[in-house]
Amino acid sequence: MDYALIESNDLDAGTGVVARGVRRTFGDVVAVDSMDLDVPPGRVTALVGPNGSGKTTLLLVLATLLAPDAGTVTVAGADPRTDPWEVRRRTGWMPDAFGTWETLTCREVLETVAAAYRLPRAGIRARVDELLELVHLADLADRPTQVLSRGQKQRLGLARALVHSPAVLLLDEPASGLDPRSRIELRGIVRDLATAGAAVLVSSHVLAELDTLADRAVFVSGGCTVSVRDLDVASAGPRTWTVRALDAGALERALDALGRVHGDPGVDGAVELELTGDDDAASLLSALVHDDVPVVSLRPSGGVLEQAYLSLTKERQ
Amino acid sequence: MSEIVDTPPGPRTWQVSWTGLRTVAVLELRQRVRSTRWITILVIWALLLGAMTTLLHLAFRRLGQGGESEEVGAIIFGLIVYLVLSLGSLISPALSATSVNGDRSAGVLATLQTTLLTPAEIALGKLGAAWLTALAFLAVALPFLGWGFLDGGTPPGRFLITLTLLAVMLLVVCAVGLGWSAITSRTTSSAVLTYLTITFVGVGLPVLFFMLAPLVTTTERRTVRDMVSQSAVWDPRGQVWMSNEMNGDSPMVCRESFQETTVTHSERIWWLLAGNPFVVLADASPMPDGNGDDILSSIRTNVRDLRLGAPAVQDRCADWGRMRAENAAQQEKRQKQRQALNATWPYGLAVNLLLGTTFTAVAIRRLRAPAAKLPRGTRVA
Ligand SMILES: Nc1ncnc2c1ncn2[C@@H]1O[C@H](COP(=O)(O)OP(=O)(O)O)[C@@H](O)[C@H]1O
Ligand SMILES: [Mg+2]
Repeated sequence: MDYALIESNDLDAGTGVVARGVRRTFGDVVAVDSMDLDVPPGRVTALVGPNGSGKTTLLLVLATLLAPDAGTVTVAGADPRTDPWEVRRRTGWMPDAFGTWETLTCREVLETVAAAYRLPRAGIRARVDELLELVHLADLADRPTQVLSRGQKQRLGLARALVHSPAVLLLDEPASGLDPRSRIELRGIVRDLATAGAAVLVSSHVLAELDTLADRAVFVSGGCTVSVRDLDVASAGPRTWTVRALDAGALERALDALGRVHGDPGVDGAVELELTGDDDAASLLSALVHDDVPVVSLRPSGGVLEQAYLSLTKERQ
Repeated sequence: MSEIVDTPPGPRTWQVSWTGLRTVAVLELRQRVRSTRWITILVIWALLLGAMTTLLHLAFRRLGQGGESEEVGAIIFGLIVYLVLSLGSLISPALSATSVNGDRSAGVLATLQTTLLTPAEIALGKLGAAWLTALAFLAVALPFLGWGFLDGGTPPGRFLITLTLLAVMLLVVCAVGLGWSAITSRTTSSAVLTYLTITFVGVGLPVLFFMLAPLVTTTERRTVRDMVSQSAVWDPRGQVWMSNEMNGDSPMVCRESFQETTVTHSERIWWLLAGNPFVVLADASPMPDGNGDDILSSIRTNVRDLRLGAPAVQDRCADWGRMRAENAAQQEKRQKQRQALNATWPYGLAVNLLLGTTFTAVAIRRLRAPAAKLPRGTRVA
């Protein structure tokens, strides 16, 4: 797909998002206790945490909707509290619970938002057409948003967040309700934006959907930042792999002969073992092939994020 | 962006641009007008007004067989003005009284707040849309108002002033609805509070006036004119007129005495009525001679009477219709006093505009983001 419209935008995310010690309470409910977050430009950062861990609240603080009780926040070089206008001009926010003006058509929604961002009138029509094309809603452009499915509404929400070509993008659970194809397209759009220099933050509690999307992951739990992982490093570092062969017995014997510590074969004959990284995996595979073990697959167990998340919770125990 | 200073949440809160206003107003009209059967409601409104106007015409034509048609015209015009004002005040909040909290619970308010629209643009755009809808109802009412006007008896100036004030009063009602919808989180609460506020100004204040009247009533010595028989003598001890005639053969006359009597100092509390929209409308458009039997004129006269307070000379003779000629001088003096009073409607209008402005300002303040506090039980998104 051609995302020329994204690349042609003049993105200046400044320092992206920098948040330190952010705290926000609602009465006696502490939604965000103390969170630190960096969303560097040119990269996609995942905000990962269980339900109720304060992800949405943090995004609302970044999107200039909620004032933090404590802490410092910079979004696209400006403070959302003292200079919300500058932040809004450069930031696109896609809310979690997606409300929509039900009786408006998709086109009217985007035109309204474009006017609200004070885009020049002359360019609005073309911009809206581009966006509808980008999120594959061109054929539903003149239907009221009431009739859209949840996934289609999510896509309209993404288009809405992109109307003013923001340099910082805040997406709250963007993939929920999306079919696999839309998910892949979302990934394409988001990755292209990052490549073009945007700072992208994607929150989710579904680890698998972030795996191929994010470069970095910030783990939050109970309103606090627990850990920050670089996912490139995570995929290069030691982790559990799964190897499966047609003949489980032959596989076990070969692994024993190579001196590899491994688990017992599962029902499908797959065996799990710890490898130190991609190089280690490559050398193991060539050794197994050399020993004539009929290997079917060798892959990391679970997603990269899932592993990082699990290793994290293991560390905490 | 160098003009931005660091007073949260930004100095632009009160800035308004035409584009911003139009964007919000158009959005609001599309969003709400499309989702309601406004055409149906307008048709029902027209039918209702049509039926009432026709009934009034039929009734007065039968009653006023001998009366001048001009007088009847003025009476019908006044009644329809009040009908439009009361029904319009009921319909106008329908749009504005849910416009902020309705958006909030539908999850679309935050979408506007994160754009470059200022809180003032959002609030005033919503207000403008609600007012336009109210004006549509006024436009539908125009033929019926015009019908009363064409019957004669209503000066064109009165017609225009009344129409303008009707539009302003509906704007105030819309603003009250907008304010409550920004204050409360539930749409039912804001609708109820809006109706309570409007009812308080329209009905509650007059009721309060009458409830307070006993508190400003005192017993004083005053000159009182009574109808007594010619032979009657004033007994200062018993505070009564004494007459030794058994059956009043001698003619009745009007006599003065200095006696204790109850006086209601309505001049101390008349201002409770000044803000009432019905009073404002009545006071703003007098008949050329300051008199008239229509509802607008009589409300104007009565409120001005209350404002003057009890006359220095209490005239009980005036109740005796056949003695009118004798009292003509008194009556004329009183009317001159009434006419000499400054108009009350500018105060009333000012009170209403203040009410509307206050509620609009509250709405604007409530729309500021980032928010430090949220209405109880609401989420931003
Ligand atoms: N407006 C609010 N009033 C009261 N409690 C809230 C409000 N918003 C969020 N919370 C609470 O704060 C916590 C964090 O919520 P949220 O940020 O939505 O979590 P997440 O998006 O990670 O699932 C939850 O326990 C939630 O109930
Ligand atoms: Mg959430």
